[in-house]
Amino acid sequence: MEELRKHAAELLQKGEVAAVIGYQQISEKRTKPIIAKTAEDCAKLVFNEYCLNNLSVYLTKARVKELRRVNGAVLKLAITAKPCDVHSIIALIQESQLKREDIHIISFNCAGVVKDFGMDFNGETLAAKCVPCDTHKPLYSDMVFGEVKETPKVSDEVLAKIEAIEKMSAAERFEYFKSEFDKCIKCYACRAACPLCYCQRCITDKTIPRWVESSAHARGNFSWNVVRAFHLSGRCIGCGECERACPMDIPLSLLNRKMVIEAKEAYSYVSGRSLETPTLVGSFDVKDSDELFM
Amino acid sequence: MDNIYKPYLAEIAEIIDETPDTRTFKLKLKDPEVAKSFSFKAGQFAEYSVFGEGESTFCIASSPTRTDFLECSFKVYGKVTQALNRLNQGDTIGFRGPYGNHFPLEELKGKNVVFIAGGIGLAPVRCVIDNVLDWRDDYKDVTIIYGARSVGDIVYKQEISEWKARPDIKTVITVDPGGECDGWDGEVGFVPTIVEKLAPSAENTFAVICGPPVMIKFTMPVLEKLGFKEENIFTTLENRMKCGLGKCGRCNIGNVYVCKDGPVFNYTQMKELPQEF
Amino acid sequence: MEEKIISKEDLLNICKDVISSGHTLITPGKTEYTVVKDVSEIVLDANVKPTKASYKTFVFPKAEPVIYYKRGKNDVQLLDIDVEQKKTVILGAKPCDTNSFNILRHLFNWDYKDEFYNVREKQFIVIGLMCNYSDKYCFCTSVGSSPISDKGSDIFLVPLDENNFALRVVTEKGGEFIKDYEKYLKAGDATKSKAVTDSVEHPEVAFDSKQVHEWLGTNFENPKWDGVGDLCLSCAQCAFVCPVCHCFDIVDEDYSYTEGRRMKNWDGCQFGHFTLHASGHNPRDIQGKRYRQRVNHKFKYYVDKFGEILCTGCGRCSRGCAVSIDIKEIVSNCKD
Repeated sequence: MEELRKHAAELLQKGEVAAVIGYQQISEKRTKPIIAKTAEDCAKLVFNEYCLNNLSVYLTKARVKELRRVNGAVLKLAITAKPCDVHSIIALIQESQLKREDIHIISFNCAGVVKDFGMDFNGETLAAKCVPCDTHKPLYSDMVFGEVKETPKVSDEVLAKIEAIEKMSAAERFEYFKSEFDKCIKCYACRAACPLCYCQRCITDKTIPRWVESSAHARGNFSWNVVRAFHLSGRCIGCGECERACPMDIPLSLLNRKMVIEAKEAYSYVSGRSLETPTLVGSFDVKDSDELFM
Repeated sequence: MDNIYKPYLAEIAEIIDETPDTRTFKLKLKDPEVAKSFSFKAGQFAEYSVFGEGESTFCIASSPTRTDFLECSFKVYGKVTQALNRLNQGDTIGFRGPYGNHFPLEELKGKNVVFIAGGIGLAPVRCVIDNVLDWRDDYKDVTIIYGARSVGDIVYKQEISEWKARPDIKTVITVDPGGECDGWDGEVGFVPTIVEKLAPSAENTFAVICGPPVMIKFTMPVLEKLGFKEENIFTTLENRMKCGLGKCGRCNIGNVYVCKDGPVFNYTQMKELPQEF
Repeated sequence: MEEKIISKEDLLNICKDVISSGHTLITPGKTEYTVVKDVSEIVLDANVKPTKASYKTFVFPKAEPVIYYKRGKNDVQLLDIDVEQKKTVILGAKPCDTNSFNILRHLFNWDYKDEFYNVREKQFIVIGLMCNYSDKYCFCTSVGSSPISDKGSDIFLVPLDENNFALRVVTEKGGEFIKDYEKYLKAGDATKSKAVTDSVEHPEVAFDSKQVHEWLGTNFENPKWDGVGDLCLSCAQCAFVCPVCHCFDIVDEDYSYTEGRRMKNWDGCQFGHFTLHASGHNPRDIQGKRYRQRVNHKFKYYVDKFGEILCTGCGRCSRGCAVSIDIKEIVSNCKD
């Protein structure tokens, strides 16, 4: 922890970065984002199993990007990112929303985080997204801290649920998702928390014409949640922030993880893993499978 | 069940295209009972709707003393105004109102009045002008100063020529520098400049002003310089409104709901509001 | 009526009766207040955390039609809507939720009476349950309430032990309701129930709401507001789970070429486009200004207009905020 704080303070002091986006502890089992601009702020930085937020959501915000301008110069931004959060940074670079040289990635050897704030960290409370994780070390970074630890071995409940749903008939699946989406209140917390939902004007906010209804009834909820899942297909990196942000506990990870699996099976593509690879939906190869369309 | 969100139905009796992007509707309320008993005061607004597109807020631009038609004028900007622009004579729209407060015309009888308007801001002022003209003897000197960006942007050309023809009021029309055309016999200059040049004495005079925020921003100091008292300067605030009846929260600024406590405010009240409109 | 005692079993019998009579019974579920189909779903536990969402949607639905329209060649037919007349009993509401009606009623009846709200509220019977939970997000005591407050409840329950509750009739409506079930009521023991309520830990008072109100009146331009919006991601979680946030939008929705409905949907002042004008001008264009509006509306403007704080101190907004923005912390900081 001390090393992290020292490193962050040094970056600021040397004028290499304009701010360090990190986590601060606000209670024993809860952290909160902090945009550290002074050494005093850096002294609050932490990394532990309660660092749930995917901070890369701030990298595309205009007010954060503005922070880079300091005394006539344009500095980098530093960000503390779990290895899974690094995937979303990579995805943003793949989609030309960020430049690699503008971000100083401080990452960690990660052994998993809790499902939600307030819980003790153990096998049972391991976040669902950590269960299938294969990047405990970040794929890209400028600095790595933390010891390598074992992640508790837990069964993949999300995958089991997906497989159970796949066995349902089309009518049963529709009923299942309809009953889940009926809970939706259209607060758009899922969209707000998602680092890849960076559109300046979301399609659901467009009124001429009204593509996606804003009402929180069955049809409006279904269209919103399905549209979002489609717009993330082949892009979602599985940080699970949408599900964590949802106040109505809608199992958004089922849809998003299913699309991640589809992208891998049909196109051997996993989002946010390599800066050398073009994005799935932004590129075309004659060898691409047509099966998903037929 | 009483439904405060249910609009009256109104038929578009006549359409006047004031400028390429501004339209006036002359409306008649369809229900004869409602039409007979309907009344409002100058300055109030209504929610006009195209069923299927939504509702939009405009002032009632005709004077309450003229009951043949209810008029509204709007500039084509967004979803609902674009839909209103596609309608034809004889079509039906929704009309919900009257809402809001009104210009205190009763209290201001016996005074001089100067009307200052810019662009489409003439619409809410026009209902007051016509109301005052219909009660002409109750007021002393009447001056109208109206400015538009160019000759093509002038609205209510018909009404303006009627006002200009009257000997008992002073009408000054101006266009922004560069907006004049051949044969233009009006003034050339921004509204604040013309106000400074041609406004009447502030003594026993109240002012009614409406226009784009930048015009109001620069005209207010001029009026103050000329000696107009703040509580005698009235404006109608353009703000995003939805329900029009003080519930949806959209127009809430400070302790005020523009749709209920306004949209007519005097300058003292405006200055007390948090400056976020 | 004096305080009585009722067993948990008999309380559930009342619930069974309410359900079988065709009325709606609502109780706190896992995430939100849910409609009960079978009494086995009912958990009456004073020690649980408040639900993630309030029961506001039962009097002020998240999306509801206000008129239906049918377009003809150039005329339009409007069809009226009547809100269903159905008695609703809410069982086990926390004190931080029960007071919501007393607060909301003012706005929905300010000159224009919103019958969509009134008809529903009239049919509600609120059975409140004392609260024995508190965490760092709770601040009911700072806004004039407490874990043992019966404000807004028609009937108030205090758990005496695992199987028995003290039952207090608070309003006439509550008295009318319980009259049919007098056979289940036993003589009360006020000493016993007082011992229970006295033992409840009250959240520490975090701020003086009168002092906050005064500070807000003169600190609109205070630089403290600048950083407040930095972390906010502009969703409406805080507004939608809140028992008293009530901003809404009115939109038209067609469902065929000629027919449709005008919807009244929840809306939030934290959305970027809430105050966006068609011209592109946005008076609240940055998050700090929007968050300032939230705090001012709740703790100053609503107080000035209607005499009530637009907040019950339940802490849902902060507990559920994805980036842990804490309204209690921000309001506590509204001082010199």
